[in-house]
Formats: sequence, structure tokens, C-alpha cells
Amino acid sequence: MTTDAQDRPDFLALVLLLPTILLLLILFVGPVAFAFYLGFTNIRLIGPTAVHFHLNGLVNLHHLYGDSLFWLSLKLTIVFLMVSAIFGVTVVGLALALLMQHAIAWLRAAVGAIVVVAWMLPPITAALVWYAFSTTGGTLSLLGGSQLDVLNTFPMTVVCLANIWSTAGFSMLVLSAGLRQVSSEVLEAGRMEGASRWRIFCSLTLPIIQPTIVTNILLVTLLSLANFSLIYIMTAGGPGNATDILPIYSYQQAFVFNKLGYGALLGDVVVIIATIFAYLYVRMSRSSRLTHA
Amino acid sequence: MFSFWYRPLLRTLLAGAALSALSFGCRGAQAADKTVLTLAYSETYVFDTEDFTKKWWGGIKTEFEKEHPDVTVQLEPINGGYDDIINKLSLLYRSPATAPDIAQMATPTVDQFASSGYLLPLDKYLATASWWKKFPPAIQSEGAWQGKTYSVNTGENDSQLYYNIPMFKKVGLPVPWQPKSWDDILNAARVIKAKLPGTVPLWILAGTGSGDNTLLMGFNNLLPGSDTPTIFDGKTQKWVVDSPGIREVLGFYHAVYSEHLGAALSDLFSTSGVTAPVFLIQKQKVAITFGSNFYGGNWSNTICTPCWPQAAQIAGVAPIPTMKGQAPGIATTIGGWDLVASATTKHPDLTWQLLDLMENEENQINAANWAGFVPGDADYVKSADFLNFAVPYNAVSAQVLPDGVIEPPNANYLIWSRGVQEATGALAQHPDTSVDAAVKIISDYVSNQLDPSQVETLK
Repeated sequence: MTTDAQDRPDFLALVLLLPTILLLLILFVGPVAFAFYLGFTNIRLIGPTAVHFHLNGLVNLHHLYGDSLFWLSLKLTIVFLMVSAIFGVTVVGLALALLMQHAIAWLRAAVGAIVVVAWMLPPITAALVWYAFSTTGGTLSLLGGSQLDVLNTFPMTVVCLANIWSTAGFSMLVLSAGLRQVSSEVLEAGRMEGASRWRIFCSLTLPIIQPTIVTNILLVTLLSLANFSLIYIMTAGGPGNATDILPIYSYQQAFVFNKLGYGALLGDVVVIIATIFAYLYVRMSRSSRLTHA
Repeated sequence: MFSFWYRPLLRTLLAGAALSALSFGCRGAQAADKTVLTLAYSETYVFDTEDFTKKWWGGIKTEFEKEHPDVTVQLEPINGGYDDIINKLSLLYRSPATAPDIAQMATPTVDQFASSGYLLPLDKYLATASWWKKFPPAIQSEGAWQGKTYSVNTGENDSQLYYNIPMFKKVGLPVPWQPKSWDDILNAARVIKAKLPGTVPLWILAGTGSGDNTLLMGFNNLLPGSDTPTIFDGKTQKWVVDSPGIREVLGFYHAVYSEHLGAALSDLFSTSGVTAPVFLIQKQKVAITFGSNFYGGNWSNTICTPCWPQAAQIAGVAPIPTMKGQAPGIATTIGGWDLVASATTKHPDLTWQLLDLMENEENQINAANWAGFVPGDADYVKSADFLNFAVPYNAVSAQVLPDGVIEPPNANYLIWSRGVQEATGALAQHPDTSVDAAVKIISDYVSNQLDPSQVETLK
């Protein structure tokens, strides 16, 4: 189907893309490659190997394999991503988008504004809001009993909810756009067939917006992976290691224990996880474009 | 079409560029005449308020530049908390172009900066310093690494017990209170719990929220008074993760939290757990506190964070006793901030003179009063300016300083510390945790992070 003209590389396009390519190489590929290199050295932030460091083979990797806290941290990271993304997008984001569709105009505007403002808040503000909400003396404890400390009792739940809260606006906007793609004729046809609203939703609406949902899940996963500040400010990975997701564990190793090499290796794991999700996202968005073309 | 406006615009831009290049050149020439000494320090974490930070460091700059008109002191404040300061300094020192001539550095990290090759040994200068001889050996040893001295102390923190005088009188506890053993502390807390519900009987930091401060203001003030104060065994080069002493201290924590004598988790685990008691004591919400020497100064009218003119009538202070009252009778950990010079400084003699100026009596006592320190010098600590700044608190801070124990200057100390933080956090959050389980937490954590061959149990 492709012609000769499409097979030949477009040199003008390459030249125009060159600044972007250079920026990506210098600001992204270069530092990430350097981080991969550092992950296999014995470099420390301060100490005898701060300046005179060298490759130490697979020592760091061996330590990683035997580090029970790393495996815990990996598990917590996956839980955080899955709950924030899957639950956050499919339940909260979709519910909001559906409700907004049928809401009266002023309610739609007000709720939409509130949800988007929550999304726009910087992570530190969102963290402080949720910290104040969920600890002793905060809103929840005023309702449930003065000693109630939900954050320290269910830390992973609270930080997941905080993350869902701060990304719900984004999910709602994307899914609202996706819902608008569902043509009214299809829904009308379903109603004429006598299908219930729930049946119409499950059998007609959901399949049509399924690519949008999946790409949204992947995007929110990537956003959540980068959200170091929210958890760090709320719990700093605690209490104990209850919310010690990989970005926080990596920071702790590199910048508290000064084990920069090992911290870099942990950061490399985060990059690998992000790459997997990014690849899936690109695949999904490309296939959904082909479907709609 | 463009030639109408772009040529004059281009001319203006070129002229402007030329002018600024010239002026930079001129400024560069002027700057080359003056020697520049750079001074890096914490902007927001060490002194009680930013105003005092500016006052002290600005004062040093003014004073030194007056005595040395051909020198400019360039101030480089570092924003952020404890970890941020260390991280920033570690990045600044990586290149001689950015390494500050003098830096304010946390005492536990001096040995690591020294082992990186970043610091200048000060021994030949210290031989001429009259004030150095008056530093107790423990404080002098803060800057020691492989036989040389790389830093000088500029203020210590130590710990003591604070208690609410009206509450004690109300329940019949003795005032002034002078506990002679750990049981005295626990028994007083138990009386408060029985007779004054709604008050927190005993505040002692636990958990990972405050980082190493959990130990500096809590655990490590009990361990030196126990049967085995050793943290790092110098003979075997191993970390002690189980010993009678550690079990005794964890037992104390277990008693506090299983009998519900302690504070709410939200306060204990919060990242402002270090300063929370200053306000909790002032609001009379807590009866007994394992606290730090800076409280008294905070309540004074000069510092005013918060202002508490009635502090001396309501908040009593007493040294922390050893476990059974055995010699030396007082236990406290000490740690603070030191001054270091860069190994790559172009002006070592001038740098030393600036350091010497910072260590004079007036500057050290101002630093102590404005940052909540105890001066290291044995004479300065007796001066009326220091003692009268926060009566009666500074006197007790001075009294306990000679018995102070520093944390092991070892790169892996923070790993041991984190293990202990997690153990105390587990005891606070799950009061049914046994001492055995708490010891296992320390042992597992340190073995996992380092290696099982680097830990030991002392009998």
C-alpha cells in the first residue's frame, strides 16, 4: 500500500526534527544512560568513593536481588499504580464523566471546575490537604472520633485515594471526550431494541470507549509513577515501610544513606517500568488511531 | 519591507550587547582586585528564624570585611531541611569552582566529607587557637578522621526532660522533679495517666517521621544510660543489633506505648515531630517530654516561636537519668553543627581567620542563643549571656553537656538508625509488639541493608 515516495526518508522532516532529537538526547537519553552506568558503580554521594568510584560489576544487582525491601517496594509500587490507575480511571473518572453527561448545565460547570482545580493543584498542596483530612485532629477524625488517624492506620489506602483524587480531573476530561464519540444513533438503536440503560452501557458504550479507557489507564499510570512528592510529603514512605514505593526507596538510598550507585540502580528499575507502560500506551494509541481512521 | 525597522533594532541590540560585555569586563576587573571567600550555611533549618540566620551570618560578613577591606565574603545560604543541606553541600564540593571555602555542616557527616577528600585538615591552625583547648574531648572528636581534625564545633544540641509543674503539683508528684531512674519517669507518667485523663503523659519520639532525630531526641538518650551503650563495636567493626542495653531501651518504649502513656501517632510520625513538643508543652497538652535544649530559647521573647513568658513557672526541666541511677547519673546524646574548610580553598590562611572569627565568644554565644545550641567551649557555656537567655533551661543544658555521647561517625550509622526508627515506630503503632519482635526488626533491617556479617549481638 505504501508508495516509493513514502519509503524514502523525508530529509526535510529529519532536519526539522533535529533540535527536538538533540534535546531528547541531551536532556533525556544521556542522563538516563548515565544513570544506568552509575547503577553498576560503587559511587556514593559523600565518602571515599564520592570522587574516585569505579564499576563494581554485578555487586549492586546482587544486592538488589537479595534486598527484601526492594521486592516489598516493587510490590507497593505496582499496587499503587494499579489501584490509582485502574480503580481511579474506570470507577471514579468514568463515573464522573457519565454523571457530567446527564447533569444540568450549572451543576456540570461547577463540578467540572472543582474537579479540574483538584487536578491542577501542585502535589504539595494536594498532599497537605489529604494530610489534614486524614490525620488526628483533621476532618475525618472530627466525624469519626478524636483519636482517629486514618493515614497511619491505612496508609496505602489513603495515599492511593489522594492520588486518585488528584488525577480524577484528567480522567474525567479524557473520558468525557471519549463519551462524546458514542453516536446518539447507536444509543437510540439500542433503546428501540428495548435494552435497559445498564445493558446499553455495558454492551454499546463501554466497547466503543474501551480504547479511550485503556489509553487513559496507561497515562494515569505514568503520571502516578512520577508522583513522588505526594507520598513523600504525606508519609515519607512510612509508617515503617508501608508506603515505600520505588521512587521513595530510591531517594532514601541515594540521598539519605548516600548510596548513590544503588539508588541509581533502583531508579533504573523505575525507568524500565515506565518504559513498559509507555510502550503499551504508544501501541494502544496507534492501534486506536488505525481503528478510527 | 523589513529593512525599515530591523536595521535600527539590530543596531540597538548589538550596542546593548557590547555595553553589557564591557560592564561585565569592568566588574570582572574590579572583582579580581578583591579576594572572595564563600560561606555556605543553612538558610531555614539551623537558626530559629530566618531573621536570625541573616543577622548572624550577615554580622560575620560585616565584621570580617571591616577587618579585611580587601576581602569580600560571599554568603551562600542553602534552603531546605537536614537532608537537603547535606545533599547540596555534597554537590557543591564536587567541583573546586563551587566548593565553598567554609561550610556549616552537620556533625555526623563530617567524617564522610573528610573521607571524600573535600576538607582541609585544621590541625596546624588549631594549635594556635585558644578556644580549641577548652572544647571537651568528645566535642573535639567530632571532627576527627584518620588522626587529623577536619571540623570545629559551632553549637551542640543535647537532651533533657521537660515536665508540667502545675500538673505535677495537682497529682502530688514532687516539684522540682529530679528523676533518678527510668522507673521514676515511667511511674510519674503512670500517675498522670491515672489522675489526668486527656493529657499525654509522656512524649518520646518514635518512628521514621523525624529521621535520625527520633534517636537524637529519644532512643539515644536512654541507650548511654543502659547496661550496654555500644552502637558500633570498634573491635569487631560490627553494628550491635541486639544487646541487653538495646532490649532495655526497647522495653522502656514498650512500657510507654503498651500502657498508652504516649502521644498520638499523628504527632509522633509527622515530619514536624522535632518541633511539635515546643507547642504541645506551651499549650499544656503533655505532662513529661524527652526534649531538646532549644525549647527554652524558643519560648523566650527574643525568639518567640512561640512566645511564652510564663514558661519558667509552668515548664520545669531536669536531666535525663541513667537506667538505675548508676554513674554518671546523667545520660544525653549530643550532636550539632560544625564548621569546615574546603581542601581546595585558594586562601587557607584567610579562611582560617574567618573561621576563627566565627568561633569567638560573642559569635558563639549569639549562635547558641539564636539557633538553640549549647556552646561547645567550656568557658562560653558558663557565660551569663548564655545562661540568662533562657532561665532555667540553659543552665540544665550546660550541666548535661559534659556527659554527652556523640553518634558513631560512620557512613552506615544512618542505616542502623533507620532500623531503630522502624522498631520504635512498630512499638508505638502496634503496642502488642514484643521486645523480641522489635529487636528482630532492627536486626533484619540492618542485615538486609548491609550484610548479615556486619551485625552482631552483644551479651
